[in-house]
Amino acid sequence: MKTNPAILAATAIFALTAAPLRAHHSFAAEFDPNQPIQLRGTVTEVELINPHSWIHIDVTNEDGSVVSWAIEGGTPNTLFRKGINENTLPAGTEILVDGYRSRDGRNRASGRDITFTDGRKIYLEGSAPPAD
Amino acid sequence: MHQRMSHFIDALRIAGFAALLASVPVAGYAQSATADSYEPARTPDGQPDLQGTWSNAVITPLERPADLADKEFLTAEEAIEYERRRQEETNMDRRPDDAAADLSSAYNDFWWDWGDNIAVTRRTSLVIHPADGLVPALTEEGQQRSDARAERRRLHPADGPEDRTLSDRCILWVSAGPPMLPTAYNNNFQIVQTADHVLILNEMIHDARIVPLDGRPHLPSDVRQWLGSSRGHWDGDTLVVETRNFTDQSNFRGASENMRLTERFTRVADDVLLYEFTVDDPDAFTESWTVQIPARKTNDLIYEYACHEGNQSMIGILGGARAEEARAAEAAR
Repeated sequence: MKTNPAILAATAIFALTAAPLRAHHSFAAEFDPNQPIQLRGTVTEVELINPHSWIHIDVTNEDGSVVSWAIEGGTPNTLFRKGINENTLPAGTEILVDGYRSRDGRNRASGRDITFTDGRKIYLEGSAPPAD
Repeated sequence: MHQRMSHFIDALRIAGFAALLASVPVAGYAQSATADSYEPARTPDGQPDLQGTWSNAVITPLERPADLADKEFLTAEEAIEYERRRQEETNMDRRPDDAAADLSSAYNDFWWDWGDNIAVTRRTSLVIHPADGLVPALTEEGQQRSDARAERRRLHPADGPEDRTLSDRCILWVSAGPPMLPTAYNNNFQIVQTADHVLILNEMIHDARIVPLDGRPHLPSDVRQWLGSSRGHWDGDTLVVETRNFTDQSNFRGASENMRLTERFTRVADDVLLYEFTVDDPDAFTESWTVQIPARKTNDLIYEYACHEGNQSMIGILGGARAEEARAAEAAR
Protein backbone atom coordinates (compact mmCIF):
# COMPACT_ATOMS: atom_id res chain seq x y z
CA MET A 1 0.00 0.00 0.00
CA LYS A 2 1.33 3.38 -0.94
CA THR A 3 1.08 6.10 1.67
CA ASN A 4 1.09 9.79 0.91
CA PRO A 5 4.19 11.17 2.66
CA ALA A 6 2.63 14.63 2.97
CA ILE A 7 -0.22 13.20 5.00
CA LEU A 8 2.18 11.29 7.19
CA ALA A 9 4.18 14.42 7.88
CA ALA A 10 1.05 16.36 8.67
CA THR A 11 -0.13 13.70 11.10
CA ALA A 12 3.21 13.80 12.87
CA ILE A 13 2.95 17.53 13.38
CA PHE A 14 -0.47 17.40 14.89
CA ALA A 15 0.41 14.75 17.41
CA LEU A 16 2.80 17.19 18.99
CA THR A 17 1.24 20.59 19.19
CA ALA A 18 -0.37 21.03 22.55
CA ALA A 19 -2.40 24.18 22.91
CA PRO A 20 -0.44 26.72 24.93
CA LEU A 21 -2.45 28.00 27.86
CA ARG A 22 -1.50 31.49 28.86
CA ALA A 23 -3.85 33.83 30.58
CA HIS A 24 -2.27 37.07 31.58
CA HIS A 25 -2.45 36.24 35.24
CA SER A 26 -2.21 32.96 37.03
CA PHE A 27 -5.76 31.70 37.10
CA ALA A 28 -4.66 28.71 39.18
CA ALA A 29 -3.49 31.11 41.91
CA GLU A 30 -6.59 33.25 41.78
CA PHE A 31 -9.39 30.72 41.38
CA ASP A 32 -10.00 27.31 42.91
CA PRO A 33 -10.33 24.28 40.61
CA ASN A 34 -12.07 22.51 43.51
CA GLN A 35 -14.85 25.09 43.54
CA PRO A 36 -16.54 24.90 40.14
CA ILE A 37 -19.56 27.14 40.06
CA GLN A 38 -22.49 27.69 37.75
CA LEU A 39 -24.41 30.93 37.91
CA ARG A 40 -27.43 32.30 36.10
CA GLY A 41 -27.62 36.02 36.53
CA THR A 42 -28.60 39.38 35.16
CA VAL A 43 -25.94 41.81 34.02
CA THR A 44 -25.73 44.96 36.13
CA GLU A 45 -22.46 46.40 34.82
CA VAL A 46 -19.60 45.54 32.47
CA GLU A 47 -16.16 46.95 33.24
CA LEU A 48 -14.04 46.88 30.09
CA ILE A 49 -10.74 47.37 31.88
CA ASN A 50 -7.29 45.87 31.54
CA PRO A 51 -5.73 43.50 32.22
CA HIS A 52 -9.08 41.71 32.57
CA SER A 53 -12.66 42.81 32.08
CA TRP A 54 -15.29 42.19 34.75
CA ILE A 55 -18.93 41.37 34.21
CA HIS A 56 -21.10 42.09 37.25
CA ILE A 57 -24.28 40.07 37.61
CA ASP A 58 -27.11 39.72 40.11
CA VAL A 59 -28.02 36.16 40.94
CA THR A 60 -31.40 35.41 42.51
CA ASN A 61 -31.30 32.54 44.99
CA GLU A 62 -34.13 30.05 45.47
CA ASP A 63 -35.29 31.94 48.55
CA GLY A 64 -35.61 35.11 46.54
CA SER A 65 -32.53 36.84 47.92
CA VAL A 66 -30.24 38.51 45.41
CA VAL A 67 -26.45 38.14 45.50
CA SER A 68 -24.04 40.11 43.35
CA TRP A 69 -21.17 38.31 41.62
CA ALA A 70 -18.21 39.60 39.59
CA ILE A 71 -17.08 37.45 36.68
CA GLU A 72 -13.62 37.78 35.18
CA GLY A 73 -13.24 37.97 31.40
CA GLY A 74 -10.38 38.67 29.01
CA THR A 75 -8.68 41.81 27.76
CA PRO A 76 -11.10 44.35 26.28
CA ASN A 77 -8.55 45.39 23.62
CA THR A 78 -9.20 42.22 21.67
CA LEU A 79 -12.94 42.73 22.03
CA PHE A 80 -12.74 46.25 20.59
CA ARG A 81 -11.04 44.82 17.52
CA LYS A 82 -13.93 42.43 17.13
CA GLY A 83 -16.41 45.27 17.24
CA ILE A 84 -17.46 44.83 20.85
CA ASN A 85 -18.00 47.82 23.09
CA GLU A 86 -19.67 48.83 26.32
CA ASN A 87 -23.11 48.66 24.72
CA THR A 88 -22.81 45.06 23.61
CA LEU A 89 -23.89 43.49 26.86
CA PRO A 90 -26.46 45.90 28.31
CA ALA A 91 -27.69 45.77 31.89
CA GLY A 92 -30.57 43.40 32.22
CA THR A 93 -29.14 40.76 29.88
CA GLU A 94 -29.40 37.31 31.39
CA ILE A 95 -26.29 35.12 31.11
CA LEU A 96 -25.02 31.75 32.27
CA VAL A 97 -21.55 31.46 33.79
CA ASP A 98 -19.72 28.17 34.15
CA GLY A 99 -16.48 28.90 35.99
CA TYR A 100 -14.52 28.62 39.20
CA ARG A 101 -14.90 30.57 42.41
CA SER A 102 -12.07 32.74 43.70
CA ARG A 103 -9.86 31.28 46.39
CA ASP A 104 -10.41 34.29 48.65
CA GLY A 105 -14.07 33.40 49.15
CA ARG A 106 -15.46 36.58 47.69
CA ASN A 107 -18.33 36.41 45.20
CA ARG A 108 -15.98 36.40 42.26
CA ALA A 109 -15.47 33.74 39.63
CA SER A 110 -13.57 33.09 36.45
CA GLY A 111 -15.78 33.33 33.40
CA ARG A 112 -14.51 30.08 31.93
CA ASP A 113 -17.59 29.65 29.79
CA ILE A 114 -20.08 32.47 29.45
CA THR A 115 -23.20 31.98 27.33
CA PHE A 116 -26.54 33.54 26.79
CA THR A 117 -29.38 31.61 28.36
CA ASP A 118 -30.31 30.13 24.98
CA GLY A 119 -26.86 28.56 24.83
CA ARG A 120 -25.26 30.95 22.36
CA LYS A 121 -21.69 31.93 23.12
CA ILE A 122 -21.53 35.37 24.50
CA TYR A 123 -20.33 38.06 22.11
CA LEU A 124 -20.66 35.77 19.11
CA GLU A 125 -23.40 35.69 16.54
CA GLY A 126 -23.09 39.34 15.67
CA SER A 127 -22.58 40.22 19.27
CA ALA A 128 -26.21 41.09 19.83
CA PRO A 129 -27.95 39.95 22.99
CA PRO A 130 -30.90 37.64 22.39
CA ALA A 131 -34.15 39.29 21.34
CA ASP A 132 -36.87 39.44 23.94
CA MET B 1 34.30 37.14 13.43
CA HIS B 2 31.10 35.96 15.01
CA GLN B 3 29.31 39.16 14.02
CA ARG B 4 30.51 38.96 10.43
CA MET B 5 29.45 35.33 10.15
CA SER B 6 26.12 36.26 11.63
CA HIS B 7 25.58 38.88 8.93
CA PHE B 8 26.50 36.40 6.26
CA ILE B 9 23.97 33.95 7.64
CA ASP B 10 21.42 36.73 7.78
CA ALA B 11 22.02 37.50 4.13
CA LEU B 12 21.52 33.88 3.20
CA ARG B 13 18.45 33.67 5.32
CA ILE B 14 16.84 36.75 3.83
CA ALA B 15 17.61 35.48 0.34
CA GLY B 16 15.78 32.30 1.23
CA PHE B 17 12.99 34.28 2.77
CA ALA B 18 12.66 36.34 -0.37
CA ALA B 19 12.27 33.20 -2.45
CA LEU B 20 9.58 32.02 -0.09
CA LEU B 21 7.82 35.34 -0.07
CA ALA B 22 7.69 35.24 -3.82
CA SER B 23 5.95 31.89 -3.73
CA VAL B 24 3.79 32.10 -0.63
CA PRO B 25 0.57 34.05 -0.78
CA VAL B 26 0.08 35.97 2.45
CA ALA B 27 -3.57 35.56 3.21
CA GLY B 28 -5.29 38.83 3.97
CA TYR B 29 -2.28 40.98 3.36
CA ALA B 30 -1.61 42.85 0.19
CA GLN B 31 1.72 41.80 -1.19
CA SER B 32 3.29 44.52 -3.18
CA ALA B 33 6.83 43.31 -3.55
CA THR B 34 9.25 40.58 -2.66
CA ALA B 35 12.22 40.92 -0.37
CA ASP B 36 14.91 40.56 -3.00
CA SER B 37 13.65 43.49 -5.06
CA TYR B 38 12.11 45.43 -2.22
CA GLU B 39 13.26 48.96 -1.56
CA PRO B 40 11.71 50.37 1.59
CA ALA B 41 10.35 53.89 1.48
CA ARG B 42 12.50 56.48 3.25
CA THR B 43 11.72 58.82 6.07
CA PRO B 44 12.52 62.52 5.55
CA ASP B 45 15.81 61.75 7.33
CA GLY B 46 16.67 59.13 4.73
CA GLN B 47 16.18 56.11 6.99
CA PRO B 48 14.27 53.05 5.83
CA ASP B 49 10.69 53.71 6.91
CA LEU B 50 9.70 51.06 9.45
CA GLN B 51 6.93 53.14 10.89
CA GLY B 52 3.44 51.90 11.51
CA THR B 53 1.76 49.20 13.53
CA TRP B 54 2.93 45.61 13.23
CA SER B 55 1.53 42.35 14.53
CA ASN B 56 3.61 39.47 15.83
CA ALA B 57 0.56 37.21 16.03
CA VAL B 58 1.69 33.91 14.57
CA ILE B 59 0.92 30.32 15.49
CA THR B 60 4.33 28.92 14.63
CA PRO B 61 5.72 27.51 17.89
CA LEU B 62 8.86 29.01 19.39
CA GLU B 63 10.59 25.63 19.35
CA ARG B 64 10.39 22.93 16.72
CA PRO B 65 8.20 19.98 17.73
CA ALA B 66 10.17 16.75 18.24
CA ASP B 67 8.46 14.92 15.39
CA LEU B 68 9.62 17.61 13.00
CA ALA B 69 13.22 17.45 14.17
CA ASP B 70 14.52 17.13 10.63
CA LYS B 71 11.94 19.34 8.98
CA GLU B 72 12.73 23.03 8.89
CA PHE B 73 9.90 24.06 6.57
CA LEU B 74 6.36 22.92 5.89
CA THR B 75 5.03 22.56 2.38
CA ALA B 76 2.12 24.79 1.40
CA GLU B 77 -0.30 21.88 1.85
CA GLU B 78 1.12 20.98 5.25
CA ALA B 79 0.93 24.61 6.32
CA ILE B 80 -2.78 24.82 5.54
CA GLU B 81 -3.48 21.60 7.41
CA TYR B 82 -1.29 22.70 10.31
CA GLU B 83 -3.18 25.98 10.62
CA ARG B 84 -6.52 24.22 10.55
CA ARG B 85 -5.53 21.75 13.24
CA ARG B 86 -3.82 24.36 15.35
CA GLN B 87 -6.97 26.46 15.38
CA GLU B 88 -8.91 23.43 16.54
CA GLU B 89 -6.43 22.69 19.29
CA THR B 90 -6.36 26.22 20.61
CA ASN B 91 -10.13 26.57 20.51
CA MET B 92 -10.91 27.30 24.13
CA ASP B 93 -14.57 26.45 23.69
CA ARG B 94 -13.49 22.86 24.26
CA ARG B 95 -13.61 22.00 27.93
CA PRO B 96 -11.05 19.53 29.28
CA ASP B 97 -12.35 17.07 31.90
CA ASP B 98 -9.58 17.93 34.34
CA ALA B 99 -10.69 20.90 36.44
CA ALA B 100 -7.20 22.35 36.85
CA ALA B 101 -6.58 22.26 33.10
CA ASP B 102 -10.02 23.70 32.46
CA LEU B 103 -9.38 26.54 34.88
CA SER B 104 -6.01 27.25 33.25
CA SER B 105 -7.76 27.62 29.91
CA ALA B 106 -9.19 30.81 31.41
CA TYR B 107 -12.05 31.72 29.06
CA ASN B 108 -14.00 30.54 26.10
CA ASP B 109 -12.62 31.21 22.69
CA PHE B 110 -13.98 34.63 22.00
CA TRP B 111 -11.47 36.32 24.27
CA TRP B 112 -8.37 35.02 22.51
CA ASP B 113 -6.47 36.22 19.48
CA TRP B 114 -3.54 33.93 18.77
CA GLY B 115 -3.54 34.70 15.07
CA ASP B 116 -4.62 32.34 12.32
CA ASN B 117 -1.45 31.73 10.34
CA ILE B 118 2.01 30.28 10.68
CA ALA B 119 4.98 32.44 9.72
CA VAL B 120 5.01 33.32 6.02
CA THR B 121 8.36 31.55 5.79
CA ARG B 122 6.53 28.30 6.70
CA ARG B 123 9.27 27.50 9.17
CA THR B 124 8.39 24.91 11.80
CA SER B 125 9.83 26.98 14.66
CA LEU B 126 10.52 30.60 15.43
CA VAL B 127 13.98 29.60 16.66
CA ILE B 128 16.20 29.60 13.57
CA HIS B 129 19.53 29.11 15.34
CA PRO B 130 20.66 26.60 16.55
CA ALA B 131 19.67 24.59 13.50
CA ASP B 132 17.56 22.15 15.53
CA GLY B 133 15.06 24.94 16.20
CA LEU B 134 15.32 24.55 19.97
CA VAL B 135 16.31 26.97 22.70
CA PRO B 136 19.76 25.77 23.85
CA ALA B 137 20.17 24.01 27.17
CA LEU B 138 20.98 26.04 30.24
CA THR B 139 24.52 26.01 31.53
CA GLU B 140 25.10 24.38 34.90
CA GLU B 141 25.05 27.82 36.50
CA GLY B 142 21.90 28.73 34.61
CA GLN B 143 20.19 25.52 35.68
CA GLN B 144 21.12 26.10 39.32
CA ARG B 145 19.69 29.60 39.15
CA SER B 146 16.52 28.32 37.53
CA ASP B 147 16.13 25.54 40.12
CA ALA B 148 16.66 27.99 42.98
CA ARG B 149 14.02 30.28 41.52
CA ALA B 150 11.54 27.41 41.18
CA GLU B 151 12.23 26.29 44.74
CA ARG B 152 11.67 29.77 46.08
CA ARG B 153 8.40 29.98 44.17
CA ARG B 154 7.33 26.63 45.61
CA LEU B 155 8.07 27.73 49.18
CA HIS B 156 6.76 31.28 48.81
CA PRO B 157 4.14 31.30 46.08
CA ALA B 158 2.28 34.39 47.25
CA ASP B 159 3.62 35.83 50.52
CA GLY B 160 3.52 39.23 48.90
CA PRO B 161 3.27 40.80 45.44
CA GLU B 162 7.00 40.42 44.78
CA ASP B 163 6.68 36.65 44.91
CA ARG B 164 4.47 36.74 41.86
CA THR B 165 5.60 36.73 38.24
CA LEU B 166 6.46 39.95 36.49
CA SER B 167 3.37 39.52 34.30
CA ASP B 168 1.14 39.05 37.37
CA ARG B 169 2.69 42.28 38.61
CA CYS B 170 2.07 44.13 35.33
CA ILE B 171 5.79 44.85 34.98
CA LEU B 172 6.88 42.84 31.94
CA TRP B 173 4.99 40.85 29.37
CA VAL B 174 6.24 38.32 26.86
CA SER B 175 5.03 40.21 23.79
CA ALA B 176 6.87 43.36 24.88
CA GLY B 177 10.05 41.86 26.25
CA PRO B 178 12.52 42.83 25.12
CA PRO B 179 12.71 40.55 23.25
CA MET B 180 9.20 40.37 21.80
CA LEU B 181 7.46 37.01 21.38
CA PRO B 182 3.95 36.15 20.23
CA THR B 183 1.34 35.56 22.91
CA ALA B 184 -2.39 34.99 23.33
CA TYR B 185 -3.64 38.41 22.29
CA ASN B 186 -2.71 42.05 21.64
CA ASN B 187 0.48 41.16 19.77
CA ASN B 188 0.86 44.65 18.35
CA PHE B 189 3.73 47.08 18.37
CA GLN B 190 4.18 50.45 16.78
CA ILE B 191 7.40 51.97 15.50
CA VAL B 192 7.97 55.71 15.37
CA GLN B 193 11.22 57.13 13.98
CA THR B 194 12.99 60.43 14.36
CA ALA B 195 16.43 61.36 13.05
CA ASP B 196 18.14 60.14 16.20
CA HIS B 197 15.66 57.98 18.09
CA VAL B 198 13.32 55.07 17.50
CA LEU B 199 10.28 54.42 19.64
CA ILE B 200 8.99 50.87 20.00
CA LEU B 201 5.55 50.96 21.60
CA ASN B 202 4.10 47.62 22.69
CA GLU B 203 0.40 47.24 23.26
CA MET B 204 1.08 44.87 26.15
CA ILE B 205 1.78 45.96 28.65
CA HIS B 206 1.95 49.44 27.35
CA ASP B 207 5.71 49.78 27.25
CA ALA B 208 7.37 52.49 25.20
CA ARG B 209 11.01 51.70 24.54
CA ILE B 210 12.89 54.79 23.42
CA VAL B 211 16.07 53.79 21.61
CA PRO B 212 18.79 56.40 20.94
CA LEU B 213 20.52 56.10 17.56
CA ASP B 214 23.14 58.76 18.22
CA GLY B 215 25.98 56.51 19.30
CA ARG B 216 25.82 57.36 22.97
CA PRO B 217 27.18 54.66 25.33
CA HIS B 218 24.98 52.27 27.25
CA LEU B 219 24.00 53.14 30.80
CA PRO B 220 26.63 52.36 33.43
CA SER B 221 26.58 48.66 34.26
CA ASP B 222 25.25 49.29 37.77
CA VAL B 223 22.08 50.87 36.38
CA ARG B 224 19.66 48.02 35.78
CA GLN B 225 16.26 48.42 34.16
CA TRP B 226 13.27 46.18 33.49
CA LEU B 227 13.57 46.90 29.77
CA GLY B 228 17.37 47.07 29.90
CA SER B 229 19.41 49.74 28.20
CA SER B 230 18.80 49.83 24.44
CA ARG B 231 21.02 51.51 21.85
CA GLY B 232 20.38 51.38 18.13
CA HIS B 233 22.14 51.87 14.84
CA TRP B 234 21.52 51.21 11.15
CA ASP B 235 23.22 48.31 9.41
CA GLY B 236 22.32 49.03 5.82
CA ASP B 237 18.52 49.03 5.78
CA THR B 238 18.30 47.03 9.00
CA LEU B 239 17.68 48.68 12.34
CA VAL B 240 19.87 46.98 14.94
CA VAL B 241 19.00 47.43 18.62
CA GLU B 242 21.41 46.17 21.25
CA THR B 243 20.13 45.84 24.79
CA ARG B 244 21.91 45.04 28.04
CA ASN B 245 21.67 46.06 31.73
CA PHE B 246 18.72 43.80 32.42
CA THR B 247 17.76 43.09 36.01
CA ASP B 248 18.40 39.75 37.72
CA GLN B 249 14.62 39.28 37.80
CA SER B 250 13.92 39.73 34.10
CA ASN B 251 14.78 36.07 33.57
CA PHE B 252 13.90 35.69 29.90
CA ARG B 253 13.61 31.91 29.56
CA GLY B 254 16.28 31.46 32.19
CA ALA B 255 18.58 34.26 31.02
CA SER B 256 20.81 36.02 33.52
CA GLU B 257 21.10 39.75 34.12
CA ASN B 258 24.11 39.67 31.79
CA MET B 259 22.04 38.79 28.74
CA ARG B 260 23.06 40.74 25.66
CA LEU B 261 20.17 41.03 23.27
CA THR B 262 20.54 42.02 19.62
CA GLU B 263 17.33 42.76 17.73
CA ARG B 264 17.20 43.33 13.98
CA PHE B 265 14.26 44.97 12.21
CA THR B 266 14.22 44.75 8.40
CA ARG B 267 11.31 45.78 6.23
CA VAL B 268 11.26 43.13 3.54
CA ALA B 269 7.90 44.05 2.00
CA ASP B 270 5.33 46.79 2.45
CA ASP B 271 3.46 44.51 4.81
CA VAL B 272 6.25 42.41 6.35
CA LEU B 273 8.76 43.57 8.95
CA LEU B 274 11.29 40.84 9.60
CA TYR B 275 11.96 40.88 13.33
CA GLU B 276 14.90 38.84 14.59
CA PHE B 277 16.68 38.67 17.89
CA THR B 278 19.78 36.93 19.18
CA VAL B 279 20.32 36.06 22.84
CA ASP B 280 23.95 36.02 23.95
CA ASP B 281 24.28 34.92 27.55
CA PRO B 282 27.14 32.51 28.35
CA ASP B 283 26.15 32.68 32.03
CA ALA B 284 22.82 31.04 31.23
CA PHE B 285 22.84 29.30 27.85
CA THR B 286 25.27 26.78 26.37
CA GLU B 287 25.24 28.76 23.11
CA SER B 288 23.65 31.86 21.64
CA TRP B 289 20.30 31.51 19.89
CA THR B 290 18.25 33.43 17.36
CA VAL B 291 14.53 33.84 16.75
CA GLN B 292 12.88 35.13 13.58
CA ILE B 293 9.31 36.45 13.37
CA PRO B 294 7.99 38.01 10.16
CA ALA B 295 5.72 40.65 11.68
CA ARG B 296 2.77 41.75 9.59
CA LYS B 297 1.52 45.23 8.95
CA THR B 298 -1.83 45.88 10.55
CA ASN B 299 -4.28 48.72 10.28
CA ASP B 300 -5.50 48.06 13.79
CA LEU B 301 -5.06 50.77 16.35
CA ILE B 302 -3.04 50.11 19.45
CA TYR B 303 -5.30 50.45 22.46
CA GLU B 304 -4.23 51.47 25.89
CA TYR B 305 -3.43 48.55 28.17
CA ALA B 306 -3.48 50.11 31.61
CA CYS B 307 -2.46 46.96 33.42
CA HIS B 308 -1.78 48.30 36.90
CA GLU B 309 -4.97 50.33 37.02
CA GLY B 310 -7.28 47.36 36.85
CA ASN B 311 -5.09 44.67 38.31
CA GLN B 312 -7.76 43.04 40.46
CA SER B 313 -6.06 39.71 39.93
CA MET B 314 -3.21 40.51 42.30
CA ILE B 315 -5.74 41.27 45.04
CA GLY B 316 -7.46 37.99 44.28
CA ILE B 317 -4.23 35.98 44.26
CA LEU B 318 -2.86 37.39 47.54
CA GLY B 319 -6.28 37.37 49.20
CA GLY B 320 -6.76 33.78 48.10
CA ALA B 321 -3.41 32.75 49.57
CA ARG B 322 -4.25 34.40 52.93
CA ALA B 323 -7.71 32.79 52.99
CA GLU B 324 -6.21 29.36 52.34
CA GLU B 325 -3.63 29.87 55.10
CA ALA B 326 -6.42 30.79 57.49
CA ARG B 327 -8.41 27.72 56.52
CA ALA B 328 -5.35 25.49 56.97
CA ALA B 329 -4.64 27.02 60.40
CA GLU B 330 -8.25 26.46 61.41
CA ALA B 331 -8.14 22.85 60.25
CA ALA B 332 -4.91 22.26 62.20
CA ARG B 333 -6.42 23.38 65.48
